[in-house]
Order: sequence, then C-alpha cells, then structure tokens
Amino acid sequence: MKLSQYGMSRILRVSSILVVLGLAVEIASLLWFHPLAFVLFAFVGAVLVAAGSLVFLASLVFAVTPEDASDTR
Amino acid sequence: MPGPTDLLIALAAFTILLAAFLFARPHVTAGAAGKIIAFMGLFILPALCISGGMYAHMQQSEQTRFCISCHAMEPYGRSLYVDNPNYIPAAHFQNHRVPADRACYSCHADYAIYGPLADKMRGLKRIYMQYVSTPPANITIPGGFKNAQCLHCHLGARDFESNPIHQAVMSSLASNQMSCITSGCHDTTHNISSLSHVKFWSPAQ
Repeated sequence: MKLSQYGMSRILRVSSILVVLGLAVEIASLLWFHPLAFVLFAFVGAVLVAAGSLVFLASLVFAVTPEDASDTR
Repeated sequence: MPGPTDLLIALAAFTILLAAFLFARPHVTAGAAGKIIAFMGLFILPALCISGGMYAHMQQSEQTRFCISCHAMEPYGRSLYVDNPNYIPAAHFQNHRVPADRACYSCHADYAIYGPLADKMRGLKRIYMQYVSTPPANITIPGGFKNAQCLHCHLGARDFESNPIHQAVMSSLASNQMSCITSGCHDTTHNISSLSHVKFWSPAQ
C-alpha cells in the first residue's frame, strides 16, 4: 500500500499533533514538582511522543516514491 | 545560569514549534530539505526530549524534598531534624554525612547495576498505593534494610574499619547476616512514633 501526497499530509499532521501534545505534557511534568509528575511524563507524554514518532516512521515506509508515481501514469 | 532542566524545556519548546510548523505546512516535506526537517522535528528531537526528560525525572526523584512531598513520608522528613545524635538518619542529614538534598536516596537506593530502575518501579507501586489503593499503616522496606546501603560509604573508611567491634563482625555485616540497624548497635533510626515528644533542631538557629 502506498500513500498519496494528500494521505502523507494527513499522516504528518497526525504525527505532528501527537508530538506537540506529548512534548507539552513533558514540559508540564518538568515544571510540576509532584510524585505524579513522573507518571504524567512516562504514561502520557512519552507515549504520545512515541506514538507520533512511530506514525511518522510508518509514513516513510508507505510513502510514494517518484518511481512509483511515474509507474501509475 | 540556566540549568539542564531549563535547557531541556527550551529544546522541547523548539521541537513543538517545529512540529507545529509541519502541522501547518505538511507539503514542505515534498522537498529534500523538508524531509530532513520532518525527520528532525518528528523523530530525532522528540527522542532527545524524551531521553532528557527521563533523566531529569530520575534526578528530580532523588531529591529529599521530592521524597517527603508524599503525605505518608512527611514524618520521615521531620525525623531528619530530631536533635539527638543517636537518631542515625538525623545525625547523617544534619552533619552532611550524606548530601542534604539527596538524603533519602543516599541510604535507600539500590546501588546495583539496575538499582535506580528497580527503585523507580518500587516508587510507582507506592504511588499506586497512595492514589489508588490504601497506603499501609506501617511503611516497610521490601526485603528489609540491607547493610549494603551503609557499607556503600562506610566500607573502607578508617574510623569504621579500625573499630574493634566492626572488625569482629565484618564478615557478618558484609554478608548481611547481621544487620547494622536491628542487631542492637545502631537501632535508633526514624522512630516516627516517638516524634511527638522529641526535641527538634532548627537549622536557622
């Protein structure tokens, strides 16, 4: 399965929003001096960032290459 | 001067800006430069931020004020200020035999290769007990207090090794057969049940 440019854009947006949310949670956890801060970081922030990065890496696997694009003409 | 946590927050903020840019303009990844920006902004920098965040949280959780920020730990924090040199934790804390800002961790960490990770897992279990189930009435150390926590610093120290009592039982101490704190020698530790009628030291005085 190969993704079109439009599909890639959507996936990049999903990946970006996950990374933005995850890093925002990480910043909040670093500023919050509380025993739950680590839980927030590890189980929310890191998971969101990891999901965003994985979505991005997966999009690279399924991206359309120029050769693929010319084959479809 | 900004500390490591400040720099990490700045890096995370920069990565957020980069990811937000890619969210607003995903078509920039059609070019080679855009692909590099996307790889940096959505993989390399986030991975750096998470690694740095893990390290920062590990460092933060070693601080004395972090340990006693849990309600159940407050009396243990107070016991560090007991004005009596027989209280082993108080004597260590007040005389800086352990770093005052890492006093709990200095004596209650597993110094084995995966020690900090094992401590973190135990910490998560205690957070679960604090917020989800019920904290135990008496807080105990899983597996008991090990002499290695004392010997980590005292072993090799001149006044410890030249003490004839220590010399006589050294092998039992090293093998944990005889406990430093429950064998009758150094048995006054936190004793939180007696805090209501002891005198406290005030650093400001």
